[in-house]
Amino acid sequence: MLEALQVFLFDYTFRTVALGAAALGAVAGALGCFAVLRRQSLLGDAIAHAALPGIGLAFLLTGSRATPVLVLGAALAGWIGTLAVMGIVRGARLPEDTALGIVLSVFFGFGLVILTFVQRLPLASQAGLETFLWGQAATLMAADVQMIIIVGAGALALLALFWKEFKVLTFDGAFAASLGVPVRRVEFLLTSLLVVAIVLGLQTVGVVLMSALVVAPAAAARQWVDSLGLMVLLAAGLGALAGVVGVGFSSAGSGIPTGPVIVLVASAIVGISLLAAPGRGLLAEVVRQRRVGRRIRADAVLADLYALAMQHEDRRYGHPVATLRAMRRGEVGIERSLETLGEQGWARELRPGSWGLTPEGEKRARTRFLDPDEEPS
Amino acid sequence: MGAPEPAASLPDGGPAIEVNDLTVAYREQPVLWDIDLEVRPGALTAIVGPNGAGKTTLIQSILGLVRPAAGRVRILDRTIQEARSEVAYVPQRGTVDWDFPTSVLDVVLMGTYREVGWFRRPGRPERIRAVRALEKVGMEAYQDRQIRQLSGGQQQRVFLARALVQEARIYLMDEPFQGVDARTETAIVEVLRELRDRGDTVVAVHHALQTVPEYFDDVVILNVRRIASGPVSEVFTEDNLRVAYGGRVPFLQAVSDAPVADLPES
Repeated sequence: MLEALQVFLFDYTFRTVALGAAALGAVAGALGCFAVLRRQSLLGDAIAHAALPGIGLAFLLTGSRATPVLVLGAALAGWIGTLAVMGIVRGARLPEDTALGIVLSVFFGFGLVILTFVQRLPLASQAGLETFLWGQAATLMAADVQMIIIVGAGALALLALFWKEFKVLTFDGAFAASLGVPVRRVEFLLTSLLVVAIVLGLQTVGVVLMSALVVAPAAAARQWVDSLGLMVLLAAGLGALAGVVGVGFSSAGSGIPTGPVIVLVASAIVGISLLAAPGRGLLAEVVRQRRVGRRIRADAVLADLYALAMQHEDRRYGHPVATLRAMRRGEVGIERSLETLGEQGWARELRPGSWGLTPEGEKRARTRFLDPDEEPS
Repeated sequence: MGAPEPAASLPDGGPAIEVNDLTVAYREQPVLWDIDLEVRPGALTAIVGPNGAGKTTLIQSILGLVRPAAGRVRILDRTIQEARSEVAYVPQRGTVDWDFPTSVLDVVLMGTYREVGWFRRPGRPERIRAVRALEKVGMEAYQDRQIRQLSGGQQQRVFLARALVQEARIYLMDEPFQGVDARTETAIVEVLRELRDRGDTVVAVHHALQTVPEYFDDVVILNVRRIASGPVSEVFTEDNLRVAYGGRVPFLQAVSDAPVADLPES
């Protein structure tokens, strides 16, 4: 245990790799927000899978295993995949998910064929190309990390520079166009940045699972915050966290590929966020539902009390619980609703087992049922 | 707000919008066919027509968002690219995701993005203007709200504020009254009249035929072709509506009689 911690903190190689994973997690998380908000999560998956043949072909054509060469090949192939998706949607009139499915599987299959072919070549240098499938952080060199950081920083700088345009495009493309924003070009830039973020992570996370690192941090971040800026920052942070923890687990001698571990960590973050986030989380929703249910039931009883009061000369007259229960067709929990009304000061137990409206309750009933506020609550 | 420019700056009182021979087709299917149109400056103009009549497409063609197969559009005797800053657009509110993580003020600020320009962010002056635009539509109390929390009518007013902050002279609105509550409808009508009285031009796609005479000065009756256009008193007739709606105009009574409730959209 202590040994593991020592590795974590002082091992140079580990720190390098962790830094790389953190950087690419941050870039993927930040740009993933736009993919998620533009409902293009699957595009990320298609881009990642489409990148595989690019890696194989780049190696075949250049004979080089250098990361920049392979990443460039991956980026080109990823882009061609994206264009193919758009082309199929426009030209063949197929829905986008069909186009994504076609491109993803065709490119990935082609990539596997090339990879198998490469592996059978009598070359020493092809070793390790298959790590691009599932990712192996241990193969990251200092130079690779440097490239991730520099290119990633460039992508984030562009994101900051064109923030306004990306934001208005994502929220309301037609309005953006009416402002004179060159929508096509800005879309092209945004998608290009997504391609960059994805191919940067291929060596570490692998083509099969990279899209998870794009989608998961953004999906988790959306649960917690309500502004685009905060969402992007938080997603970047969560992506970095997933990267570092994932690398930590996989390089702690387990031999597990890094990609699956990173994805598991990212998924855990998403799970917690879906469940526990205040406001949008599942738990909060359950609590809200119960509160709303209680209020609706209390309102129903308030309406009954009001109806009864209107039939009496003395509006403060007390009505037995049994009457109210009969009006609710024997529904249980009338007492609970009356208590709620009592807590609000809208009804009062005048005699044991007999309830009447307070003046506030009467006013409340009148505004709520006769003059409902247009505002949603 | 900037000094209201009187209509006098228009070239010889020419039309605010001029459409010539406009034809738009989606996959060989004509959506708009040979439209000729002149929109009077300083007036409220409604575009009416049945579903699929091309009302949204007409608005988007004027804005240059749709590439026409033929024809041309002039705005204040300029191309749309030259006249961008004079034109504000209010899309249908159903076209955006209201769960987008942003606040009311932020959405209104988007109306300032053009003048703020590349690589810069809206600052304090823009914020002040955005709040003022929200005041005009009675939404200033909501500026920090999440847009998710708004009712339909409030969403529509926020969209209107986003157009107002552009301080344009021509406002193109796609169904600004669609699915809004009575209070919002009154608020919007008031804003539209204020714009007109300032000399601005408003063109709005409108669904509820019975309110056309009350709200608008001019009307364009559309069904792929332009059936009629001009002052409401002259062209908003039973005959023209019957041509546009195919003889089945259940609300014709409403036009002549007392106003009835909003017709449900089919």
